[in-house]
Amino acid sequence: MDTTLPDAGPAQASSSAAQGVGIVPNEATNGTGVAAPRIKVDEPPKFEVESYIANYTGRTRFHRLYLIGTTSTLLSTDVLKAAVAEAKSGKNVELYEKAVRALSEVAPTEPEAFLDSSWVQEVQRSVRAQTDRLEQELRGYKNNLIKESIRMGNEDLGNHYYETGDLVAAAKAYSRMRDYCTTPNHIASMLFKLINVSVEREDWLNVQSNVHRLRNALSKPEDQARDQPKMMAAMGLSLMHARSYLDAANSFLSVEPTLADTFTEVITPNDIAVYGGLCALASMDRNELQRRVLENNSFRNFLELEPHIRRAIGFFCNSKFRPCLDILEAYRVDYLLDIHLQRHVAELYSLIRTKSIKQYLVPFSRVTLDSMATIFAPNVVGGEAQPTGFKSPFVQELIKLIKAGVLDARIDLEKGVLVSNQTDLREEVQNNTLESMMAFNEEAHIRLLHAAVLQAGLQVPAAPKEGRRPRMDHRDGKGDVGNF
Amino acid sequence: MAAIPALVTASTKLHNTTGLTDESHDCQIRDHVAYCRNLLSTKALSSISRDESVLDPHDRTLIQDGILSSISFFSVCKSKPSRKRPMEHCLGIYYPRGRLWSKAVRYLETFNPVQIRYAGQEFRQLIEYPLLATRPIREAILRLDPSCAVFTSTHLLFVQLCLRAKAYACALPVLDKHVCHFPAPSSRASSKSSLALCAKHESGLSFITDSSALSATLTYKDYLLYFLYGGMIYMALKEWRKAFHFLGVVISMPTVGSISMVMVEAYKKWVLVGLLANGKLSSPPNNTPSHLVKLYQSIAKPYVSLAQAFERGEMQTLVAEVDAARDIWIMDRNMGLVSQVVNTFSAHALVRLRKTFAALTVAEVLEQVPHLPADPIATESVIAPLIMSGAMNATLVHSPSHTSDTMLRLSGKPFFSQVSHESHMQVRFRKEGQLMTALMGSLEETNRAMALSDEFVDASSKGQAWTTASEVNQGVGDDFGLDMDEDIMGG
Repeated sequence: MDTTLPDAGPAQASSSAAQGVGIVPNEATNGTGVAAPRIKVDEPPKFEVESYIANYTGRTRFHRLYLIGTTSTLLSTDVLKAAVAEAKSGKNVELYEKAVRALSEVAPTEPEAFLDSSWVQEVQRSVRAQTDRLEQELRGYKNNLIKESIRMGNEDLGNHYYETGDLVAAAKAYSRMRDYCTTPNHIASMLFKLINVSVEREDWLNVQSNVHRLRNALSKPEDQARDQPKMMAAMGLSLMHARSYLDAANSFLSVEPTLADTFTEVITPNDIAVYGGLCALASMDRNELQRRVLENNSFRNFLELEPHIRRAIGFFCNSKFRPCLDILEAYRVDYLLDIHLQRHVAELYSLIRTKSIKQYLVPFSRVTLDSMATIFAPNVVGGEAQPTGFKSPFVQELIKLIKAGVLDARIDLEKGVLVSNQTDLREEVQNNTLESMMAFNEEAHIRLLHAAVLQAGLQVPAAPKEGRRPRMDHRDGKGDVGNF
Repeated sequence: MAAIPALVTASTKLHNTTGLTDESHDCQIRDHVAYCRNLLSTKALSSISRDESVLDPHDRTLIQDGILSSISFFSVCKSKPSRKRPMEHCLGIYYPRGRLWSKAVRYLETFNPVQIRYAGQEFRQLIEYPLLATRPIREAILRLDPSCAVFTSTHLLFVQLCLRAKAYACALPVLDKHVCHFPAPSSRASSKSSLALCAKHESGLSFITDSSALSATLTYKDYLLYFLYGGMIYMALKEWRKAFHFLGVVISMPTVGSISMVMVEAYKKWVLVGLLANGKLSSPPNNTPSHLVKLYQSIAKPYVSLAQAFERGEMQTLVAEVDAARDIWIMDRNMGLVSQVVNTFSAHALVRLRKTFAALTVAEVLEQVPHLPADPIATESVIAPLIMSGAMNATLVHSPSHTSDTMLRLSGKPFFSQVSHESHMQVRFRKEGQLMTALMGSLEETNRAMALSDEFVDASSKGQAWTTASEVNQGVGDDFGLDMDEDIMGG
């Protein structure tokens, strides 16, 4: 199962290792080495799983169900049952086995928790037969040297591999179509298939390169208009996974609303709104947010699907940080159950929080720590005796931010205030000038001397027997000045 | 006795040169030098044997003249040690309280810097052989060549003396002027310079040549040692930045393959001074060849690992490194520097607190800087000297009731008043500006010496532009080819 998502893999491995139950050999090799802590969620999400999953098509349904099932303790049984059913409707035996195993860990007594071995054998047999048949056909087409047939043969084979879960072989089969594509449309559809496979393999670099190829291949404007939303969505996704959130936000923001339901095997318009909104919130400043997100007509269509994101951005732009953070906090569970967002939630949230703190400090020359704590650490204020003492987590967080150079301020623990640094511009310029003058003088001196030494032929000589002599001489020299 | 009046008249004649051209003045001086040398090497020796009678009238004449005739005096001085008197006595008169001491010192402070150019040999003998006092030598060096840009053996002698005499501050006027040249080979100088020796020269480079004998023959060791000793003088004065620069000069000098031990010594000190100056292991000057850096690092391994421990900010490792290689520090005579490095370590951490905090209690300081003594009172005693020395801009405030901790208040603004700060900055700017002007002058000299004219630079930069342009063309061609390829595939 080298094609499972890393999210699912380690979770699977760690839980089964904890229980000490048998592991399918090839899965054990996959799960080891990845030591990401397994994320567990106890609260219920705000969405209905059935209606949520109904938005998606294709394999991503299973992966999403599986992720929710293994992450949320509350929903695990029901959702994993759905995942088993989902897997059974397809032809991928490995996914089915994986789902059953996960289910048997949370609810061993359920009838679905037992492996339906007759179904497994049946499917495996038919898959093998079909693989043989398709390869046979393809060979026949190749003998006939008809381009279009070969292309379709490869496509069928690729589709078949994809359905059965052999993503590497699928990617290979799709790439072989390249030589037999005769129209730009063929190329586009092939590249989209490759993108889908890469997304499922989590090979984000590959997604990016395929998107670029696609962009180059599309020459007609109407083709571009048609495929642009999907391309930008895939691009944004891969950039988000590469942790370049600003670029990801830009990509998501440029997705046209014509995307609608055309890309549901990967992403829905709701996801675009959430991903784009969060990435923008984490990476853009207030003006940019206002101008490029809230006043962006095409992106507004997406934001209307997820009004809370719109509200959060609005609050941020109006410097109402507490409500903004509250909204995000309320939806944290939802995002932790999202297949793409799960591993970025913590980072995105901390980025947004840091930015809020920074933004909050802008108008002040000094701020009491208490007033900051009420906004950014309300729980601490309620719970601890000394909310703004040196040891409180909020102050420690501030110290960390200052040390990292994010905040340009200093903490006055005596008076309990945060003092923003006022740089004396004149002094700064003077210091910089002086520093650069000194650096220049030193550098120039060394270079001039270099030239002079070379010109006078006074380089340190190379002769190996000379190597001894300077040492001796120098010892003498040191003797003279040894008292230093 | 007849020789003395002859000398005096000759020298006074030399002074009435107003209105003479440089060339004729040149000839006159040359004649005079020859005459003096000749006079003193032969018959005069016996007649000058009575010191007092010789030098007193001589001296008086000089005072009356107000200007000194350099060559005559040096000729007299030169003759001294070669007499039949016992050697100790000869030298004795040049030492303080010796008869000639005061005269020699006064002379070195007032000699005529133009005429001395003709008598380099005698000048050097006076300085190098008997007279070993830092201040007169310094005055002599600066009088001879006020820009001080040409390296001579006297420079090395001088810093060595200063270091041995611990007269560190005395060396600064010379060290603060950057040495940029070496005496040019005589053949080139004579063929090129049409100016007479006594004419006005813009830089010392044109009259301090190999043939002038104002410097002994130089080797690579001389200038390496000069900069090493200079660096050590700055170190003693705790001028870390300048020391760092001087040592940087030593380690970046060009070599043919191997390196000198002087450079290795310099590298060791350079690492430590870098820690003291910048608080980190700095990268060597830009033009240090990379293979040299590797060589240094392998030879001076303990120093590098010490610096790395310092950079990581772990007191434990730092102390362990210091203890582990104690023998090496002592053998290299760097123990003093190493202990200063250890001392600055917590000071650096404390000074850095200013970036994060405006005020905090001493107990909280302990949490931020974990390797201070665990007791708040002991920590206070660590902080107090830092504040007193001005390294840390802060105040310690004891609370009136002894219930709570002492508060450390770190002020963001410098203490000293705005005006004095401004004037201080202005002085520094002026100094750096002067240095820069001097360097630009030296650069011009170097260009002239290497026959690098503006035209040459223009031509070579044009050549460079041409090559890059052709490269770009090449690149475009490649791209174009790729495009073609892509099209074929697309079609």
